[in-house]
Amino acid sequence: MEIFQNLAMGFGVAFTPINLLLCLFGCLIGTLIGVLPGIGPLATIAILLPVTFGLSPAGALIMLSGIYYGAQYGGSTTAILLRLPGESSSIVTCIDGYQMALKGRAGSALAIAAFGSLFAGCVGTILIGVFGPALAKFSEGFRSPEYFALMVFGLTAAVILANGSPVKAIGMIVFGLALGLVGTEAQSGTVRYAFGIPELFDGIDFVPLAMGLFGFAEMMNNLDNTEQAPVKTANIGGMTPNREEVRRAIPAVLRGTAVGSLLGILPGGGAVLSSFASYTLEKRITKYPHQFGAGAVEGVAGPESANNAGAQTSFIPLLTLGIPSTPIMAVMMGAMTMQGIAPGTAIITDRPELFWGIIASMWIGNLMLVIINLPLIGIWIKLLHVPYRLLFPCILVLCCVGAYCISSSTFIVFLMAGFALIGYLFSKLGCEAAPMTLGFILGPLMEEHFRRAMILADGDVTILVRRPISAVLIVAALGVVFLIVSPSFRKTREVAFRE
Amino acid sequence: MLRLSIKSAQDFAAGLIFVVTGLAGLWFGWNYAVGTIIRMGPGYMPRALHVILIGIGLFLIAQSLVVPGEAIRRGRLRPHVFILAAIILFGLMIERFGLIPSIFFTTIVASLASSDARWVEAVALAAALAVASALLFVKLLGQPIELFSWNF
Repeated sequence: MEIFQNLAMGFGVAFTPINLLLCLFGCLIGTLIGVLPGIGPLATIAILLPVTFGLSPAGALIMLSGIYYGAQYGGSTTAILLRLPGESSSIVTCIDGYQMALKGRAGSALAIAAFGSLFAGCVGTILIGVFGPALAKFSEGFRSPEYFALMVFGLTAAVILANGSPVKAIGMIVFGLALGLVGTEAQSGTVRYAFGIPELFDGIDFVPLAMGLFGFAEMMNNLDNTEQAPVKTANIGGMTPNREEVRRAIPAVLRGTAVGSLLGILPGGGAVLSSFASYTLEKRITKYPHQFGAGAVEGVAGPESANNAGAQTSFIPLLTLGIPSTPIMAVMMGAMTMQGIAPGTAIITDRPELFWGIIASMWIGNLMLVIINLPLIGIWIKLLHVPYRLLFPCILVLCCVGAYCISSSTFIVFLMAGFALIGYLFSKLGCEAAPMTLGFILGPLMEEHFRRAMILADGDVTILVRRPISAVLIVAALGVVFLIVSPSFRKTREVAFRE
Repeated sequence: MLRLSIKSAQDFAAGLIFVVTGLAGLWFGWNYAVGTIIRMGPGYMPRALHVILIGIGLFLIAQSLVVPGEAIRRGRLRPHVFILAAIILFGLMIERFGLIPSIFFTTIVASLASSDARWVEAVALAAALAVASALLFVKLLGQPIELFSWNF
C-alpha cells in the first residue's frame, strides 16, 4: 500500500525533534488564542508569519497549521465554561455546552468536545491523505480555463459566507482582486500602481496586509467595545462522561465529522460553517428536541467534531490545487510562497516529504491537543484573567517588529498602519475583510489564467463552458449567485447569521 | 415628488469608497496598454476590475437612497489614534534609535489606547517587551536589527 509508505515517510519528517517541537508550539499557541476571545487564528497566523522565515518549509507549515486546528480545541473551552466563544467556530458550542456546565457536567462536556475533535481530526487527516493525491491526479488535466472557473466558483462561494450584504462582499472581492494586481505584471514587465515605491514592485506584501486587516482591525474593534465582562468560571466537575452521554455523543461525533469533512473541502467552507451546519443537523434529527438549548450532549459533540474536521479538510484544496478556499488558507498560501514553494498539484509529487509531513504532524498534533486541553485546563482558564490592556501592546509590538523584519523596510510598517486603518473603516461600514483577502491572493492568478485561457481559445469566452469541468464549475458558480439573490435563501442566511 | 435622502449610511459610504477607488484606479492606470482579449495588455484586467468596482459602488449608492439600512456606529477616537500612532512611531524610530528604545516608546504609546491604562504598568510592560523582543528577534531568530543606534 502506497499510502502507508507515504505516511511512514511523513512520520519520519514529523518526528524529527525540531518538527515535534514546532508542532507542540503551534498547538500551544493555537489553544492559547482559542481560549482568549478577541484574537483569532487568522490574525495569529498572520502575526507569526515573519517568525517562520528562519524555519524549514515543513517546520513552518507544521507550526502554522497547528495554530489553526489548535484554536478549534481551545475555542470550545471558553465556550463551555464561560459561554464566551473563544473562536467564531465555537459559537454554537456556547448554547448547549454552557448549559451542560451549569448542570455540573462541564468536565464531561469538555471531554466529549476534546475526544470528538480528536476523532474528527484523525478522520480529516486520513481524508487529506486519501483524497489529496486522488484530487491532485484528477486535476492534472486542469488547464487555465478550469483554474479560472474554479477560482470564480471559490470567490462566489465566499460571498455566501460573508456576513452582511452580498453586494458589499462582491465589492470587497473586486477591491481585493484589483489590489492584487499592484506590482510588476508578469507578461510585459510593466510596473502597475507602484508610484515609484520599490517595495511595491513585487506587489503588495501579504504580511502587512493580513496583520493590518485582521490583527489591528480586530484590536481596534476590541478596544472600541467598552470593557470586558469580569470572568466567572463554572465548576469543571468530573471529566468522565457517563454511559448515557457517551451513547448519545458517539453518533453525533460521527455525523459532525461527516458534515465537517464535506463542508471543509468546499471553497468558503472551513471550520465556522461546519459547526453551524452540524448544530442545525443535530437539532433537526434529534429524539430529544426539548433538550436542545438546555444542555444536549449532541449539541456539543456534533459541532465540536465538525469544526475540527472542517479545519483539517480545508487544507485539501490548498495542498492539491494550490487554491485557498478560506482566508486562513490564503494566509497559509502566503506562508508557502514566502518559503519558495509554489502551491499546486506539484506539491504532492515534487515535495512529498512536505505534504505527508504536514499530514503526519496533524495526527501528532491532535493527540498533543487532547493532552494540552484536558489535564491542563486549569492553566488556560487562569490565562483568561490576563487583562486585555496588557495583551494588545504585546500583539502590537510583535506585529511591528515582524513586519519590519520582512525586508528591513519601514515602508512595510507604514503599509501595515494603512491597512489597519482601511480594515477598521471597512468593518465600520459592514464590509468584511475576508472576501477581500481571497480576492487579493487570487487576483494575479486569475489574470494569468484568464490570459492563457483566452490565448488558448483565440479570444472566445465560451471556452469556459465548452470544456466539461470548467462548465460544471461555472454552472455551480451561477447556482451560487442564483441562491444569493433568491429571496427565500436570503432570509435563511440572515437567520443563520443572527443565531 | 420623490425626496432622496441617505437611508443607509453604511452602504452609501461603502459605495462611495468603491467608486472613488475605481476612478483612482482608472486614472492612474490610464497609460497601461489594454490590448485585446486575445493579447491582454497589462491594462486589461485593472481597467475591467475598476469599471466593475465603480458599477458596484454606484449600485450601493443608489440602493442606500432607497433601502433603509444600518447607520455607522460611532466609535471612540482614542484607541484608533493611539494604535495608529504607535505603529507609525515604531516605523519612524526603528532605523534611527534601534530596537530597544523603539519598542519601549511604542509600547507606552500603545498602552494609552486603552482607557484604563496605568503608567507604572505600562512602563514595566514596555521594558519587559523591549528585552523580550531583543531576545526573540535578534538573539533567537538572528534578525539583523541593531539594539541601540543613533542614525540621522
